[in-house]
Amino acid sequence: MSAAPLRPEQVDPRVDLGGIALRNAVLTASGTFGYGVEFAPFLDLRRLGGFVAKSLTLEPRHGNPPRRIAEAPSGMLNAISLENVGVDAFVRDKLPALPEGVTVVASVFETEVERYVEVVKRLTGVGRIAGLEVNASCPHVKSGGIEFGQNPALLAQLVRAVRRASALPLLVKLSPNVTDIGEMARVCEGEGASGISLINSVQAMEVDVESRRPVLSNVLGGLSGPAIRPIALRMVWQASRAVRLPLCGVGGIESAADAVKFLLCGATAVQVGTSNYLNPAIAGEIVDGIVAYAARHGFARVADLVGALEAPPR
Amino acid sequence: MVDARVGAPIRVAAKVVALRDEGGANRRLTLHVEGWPGFEPGQFVMLSPGPLGEVTRSDPLLPRPMAVYRQERADGGARVEILFKRHGRGTALLAGCLPGQRVRLLGPLGRPFPAPVEGERAVLVAGGTGIASILELASRLAARGRAVQVLLGARSASDLMGEADFEALGIPLEIATEDGSRGRRALVTELLEAALLDPAPARVYACGPTPMMRRAAEIAAAHGRRCVVSLENPMACGFGVCLGCAAPLRRGGFALVCRDGPVFDAAEIDWEGLA
Repeated sequence: MSAAPLRPEQVDPRVDLGGIALRNAVLTASGTFGYGVEFAPFLDLRRLGGFVAKSLTLEPRHGNPPRRIAEAPSGMLNAISLENVGVDAFVRDKLPALPEGVTVVASVFETEVERYVEVVKRLTGVGRIAGLEVNASCPHVKSGGIEFGQNPALLAQLVRAVRRASALPLLVKLSPNVTDIGEMARVCEGEGASGISLINSVQAMEVDVESRRPVLSNVLGGLSGPAIRPIALRMVWQASRAVRLPLCGVGGIESAADAVKFLLCGATAVQVGTSNYLNPAIAGEIVDGIVAYAARHGFARVADLVGALEAPPR
Repeated sequence: MVDARVGAPIRVAAKVVALRDEGGANRRLTLHVEGWPGFEPGQFVMLSPGPLGEVTRSDPLLPRPMAVYRQERADGGARVEILFKRHGRGTALLAGCLPGQRVRLLGPLGRPFPAPVEGERAVLVAGGTGIASILELASRLAARGRAVQVLLGARSASDLMGEADFEALGIPLEIATEDGSRGRRALVTELLEAALLDPAPARVYACGPTPMMRRAAEIAAAHGRRCVVSLENPMACGFGVCLGCAAPLRRGGFALVCRDGPVFDAAEIDWEGLA
């Protein structure tokens, strides 16, 4: 790029993520940002493009016994098992506690299609909710525990049913534990999703050598953090070549530079996840850093960075 | 040591003033913390070496929860002391800090120890790094003229931390080591058994390895005394969002050690389920 540099205030930071109008391209990832209010001491939530609330189920869930987390090289494993207050308590207690002007995306997680649909119905028509994100990494009980997002037919069934149940913008969060992410992205597009968030955590395991036991009570957990960033970037790039849907890049983003990489590879917006634990103000810093990058490189709109990856040398 | 009010947690790059070898793997980290709001005994901080606002390291990724040992007012903030044991990669990084370097600090976090009720003797029992959680409690109770007794335990004399600081308080202090190299050759919970033979009202404050706290809770219950414990589950965030530090409760469900604790009534905890 040889465009003349701009001043940061000349850059338009807004993006449209499948019908969700975001004041900037940075959201926080489901499960890493609580119900938002936990971060209020550290960050003005209205500085965020939006935040994806903790995944909601029909009933409250307690989650797994300890241990639930383990450290890994440049990352961490978790097996929380979607502990949450349940959809009704979220609508009744958690949403009203948020300041006005915060863009909220509600995440949905269930074990059966019908239950996903019921949660989605209870979220639809609730004024504060700007969009839905369907977490497709849940094991489908009737199919022997395979994740919805690992089987194209199951994924299609889920997206179709949820699409019918709500007119809200609908993001589908894909599992990375698949052979062909492009195929899963095409399923979402074909069934009418508004956009795709990727990736969820990478299935992983850790062992305590001294006790000869798995570290996590659940044995398996999800790897997140900088360790998975190159995998996420690769999958966003592949998905961007497979579909026209807007993408939301998730996976190990620690800095504005990391976020820009996802935009260049075709993501319209990004979600900051595990880094929120290490620095509860990080998402705000990334908002400013993306604008500074766009200004420095002469992009008048952050949206112009999307897919602006230069062709690799041949 | 000042008796400051608890403030909202802050996130700052604290400056390393000193890092002292305390024998064995024990280290004493002294930080200068700008804008430190003060802490209450039992609260903790999340620590990770490095400056604010730039990514300098992602391995190990997570900050380490550390009890605040004590505080002292200093120019524009406070000197905050942390006593810890170098045993893994995170603590090795902290142990390698040089004076002048920065450490990211988030805190103070968590709910503090409750005060004993009027007329109740406080029996503080701590083992290993759990000792770091109770100095300030002992110090403040003693300063208020409350009856307080401290029982410290360690594997051996070289593992024992903070002995001189407790001695300086001038309160009854007993020590047990597993190899007998300092104090009585016993488990610290055996000292607790003996201490509770005194029939006067007492409340037990326990901090240390999980089996030690569990045993302390059993002993306290057997003697009809209330017991509070300070749990040390692994955690990623320290402020209630990662949900990694869940402790199972007897009534079902979980409490978060970072947000609902780390101090709990021992009777609330499902010790069998606590990994």
